[in-house]
Amino acid sequence: MNIAIALSFLALQGDDEFQKVLELEAKVRACCEKVRPAYVFFGNGSGVCISADGWVLTNFHVSGDKNGQAVRMTGGARFTADVVGYDPHGDIALCRIKNAKDLPFLELGDSDLVRVGQHVIAMGNPFLLGNGSWEPTMTFGIVSALHRYMDNPGYFDAIQTDAQINPGNSGGPLITLDGKVVGINGRIDIKRFMNRVNTGIGYAIPSRQIQRYMRKFKEGGEVKEGYIDGIRIGECGDARYEKVGEYGDGVFVAGITPDTPGAKAGFANGDIIFEIEGYRIHNANRFHGVVSNWPQGETVKVRVRRGVAEVDLSAFLGNPAKVKPKELGASPLDLGFSPSADFDDLGVEIEKVEKGGAAEKAGLKVGDVIKKLDGRRVKNWDEFRDTVKSRKTGDTLKLTVLRDGEETEIPIKIPARKSDE
Amino acid sequence: MTSLLLALGMLFDPGDDASAALARRLQKLRAEVSRSVVAIEVERETDPDGRGTRGPVAAHEDYYNRPKGPTSGVIYEADGFILTSYFNISGGLKKDGIRVTLADGKEHVAELLGFDEARDIALLKIGATGLPVLPKADFSKLAQGLFVALVGRSPDKEIPTINLGILSAMNRMERAAVQTDAEMNYGNAGGALVTLSGELVGVACNIKPKTPWGQSGGVGFACKVAEIDAVLPRLKNKEHIVAAKKPFLGIRPGEGNPEVEGLQVSEVIKDSPADKAGMKKDDVLTELDGKKLTDFESLKDVLAEKKVGDEIVIKAKRKAGKKYDDKEFKLKLAGAPDQP
Repeated sequence: MNIAIALSFLALQGDDEFQKVLELEAKVRACCEKVRPAYVFFGNGSGVCISADGWVLTNFHVSGDKNGQAVRMTGGARFTADVVGYDPHGDIALCRIKNAKDLPFLELGDSDLVRVGQHVIAMGNPFLLGNGSWEPTMTFGIVSALHRYMDNPGYFDAIQTDAQINPGNSGGPLITLDGKVVGINGRIDIKRFMNRVNTGIGYAIPSRQIQRYMRKFKEGGEVKEGYIDGIRIGECGDARYEKVGEYGDGVFVAGITPDTPGAKAGFANGDIIFEIEGYRIHNANRFHGVVSNWPQGETVKVRVRRGVAEVDLSAFLGNPAKVKPKELGASPLDLGFSPSADFDDLGVEIEKVEKGGAAEKAGLKVGDVIKKLDGRRVKNWDEFRDTVKSRKTGDTLKLTVLRDGEETEIPIKIPARKSDE
Repeated sequence: MTSLLLALGMLFDPGDDASAALARRLQKLRAEVSRSVVAIEVERETDPDGRGTRGPVAAHEDYYNRPKGPTSGVIYEADGFILTSYFNISGGLKKDGIRVTLADGKEHVAELLGFDEARDIALLKIGATGLPVLPKADFSKLAQGLFVALVGRSPDKEIPTINLGILSAMNRMERAAVQTDAEMNYGNAGGALVTLSGELVGVACNIKPKTPWGQSGGVGFACKVAEIDAVLPRLKNKEHIVAAKKPFLGIRPGEGNPEVEGLQVSEVIKDSPADKAGMKKDDVLTELDGKKLTDFESLKDVLAEKKVGDEIVIKAKRKAGKKYDDKEFKLKLAGAPDQP
């Protein structure tokens, strides 16, 4: 009997339900085709381009904080990338490809809309198999669980997936079938010590968390994840603390240090924290997981149960008193413009000017190149950023700007930090 | 990917039976395709391939040793030609040491005709005719993301297995193989990777103790049908195609020199061709036989076109005070040393 005939019979067989399988297959294929060009071969790991002008996300354990790294995109096109902002504990780095123009990129999706069981694709370079052919690997699976909490590095709100992730996948995107990035893959549970091969358990940092850090990442330098300073929390249902609710209810406030952001937020001993920014807080891990979703310097809404009443509080994350003065300085991004990535150490070229921002009010225009700051030459954004960060809000900076071949002086006042308002 | 059935069940309404339709298709595929998939048992005198040697991995010999039990193969031509992964039949074979069990349960002693180490495929011959052969997939119609299934016949010779996955990459192993996330292990390696309509994409290969990806890690390969066809006459001719040693220069790449474009050398391996020619740490290699070098990848690209024993000329810059001197090295490429 000729099996070829038997099989083509099998393929042609009318089966309405099977059409749905073929539709899913077509969707996966189309998704692979769509996302492939935006992949970045980043050292011994992966990255994904998220804007046409070259912003790239990866893991901190892939990129470190080194500038001038050689990267490639799908097909082998070569670029140089700088690491702009990074969270070493949360294992995310935002990088910028130099001289980027019209790069293929993927949008960030909303990880809060991801559901357990949903299909996802992991794009990466496991075992560096794509080096040379510069074709990334796609693996297909589902979301196995949400809000996984782990420390060191801190994957405190991770998406768990069975799409196979292996060494080399780190920093690559986890993608929903509409082609959007909902996470950055970076961690796996392994079978045995020293045998780093996927076991069906991979973890991705969710896109929502990354988006909340994005402003600080773009500002540059190290970004630290948030915590509520000055309160001690306990697990409800813990035998050591009697009558403080049942496990799963929330976490309760077991102690408050005076003169800390936690005390100023108005927490009281015995409060049960059950919601932060709309997220239910079941237990201590989830509490840390949710709070770490914002960087230090942000303020979050906290709901507590106090006796029978529900009370709304605002908690500042981190503690300025414990931060070095340099980290409290003015934010260059608050000036209301963003720099182009095409700097060749000839100054800071302005790529975008925010509407109504300080830069616009001061009269800065797209295409201007900032040559000097207070009379001192600034070669690039890194130098500019560090100088501005060492200044206070309310100070006036004197910029020397090259426009149409002529240098003009433009004073600009540093506005209040948006994130601290 | 093993969870696809489960996932489909979740995505579609209970009344919607796409998941059942996929299950039915996989059952049919398993039934039809497995007619062309055989079980292979091998008796060996020695087995140098059956042990991992990569650094700390060697500490886990029990895990990395070749496990007992049958492996899989694919009937490639009706007159008893069977393809499998070379790893499945490598090692020092005993006389009549390869036995093939067909779908009907009949056991045949197989002759090893030829093999190709680099592609990790081997051709066996048994004394049978009129065997069922799978239709071949048209590679140009395949793409990343398409569903594929891997059919093997292990650990139980009577019971074929089927694993579902996607095509993860189209060109791996120097374009000889496709990559799939269908779980692949020592049992179903050598089996048939097919499309959902049962067409043969390739023969599962490159799962062996010396590869870092291990078993069932979601990284598996299948030697493309076209690649098999290209070497089939040589295999039938009992050729043993041994993997050519890659040409070897003997340097490790540095992080690059901001002052000079080229490949900065961070280390010269002792007694290598580079060492013998006088290359030094921090030399910046700029040209190889007239081709520009920019980084390690560009060196690999140029070396890929060379053979062991070729004589080459490398131009380089070497720092001397504030200036760079031009250097030229003439050397003969050696074969890459064996991995420790």
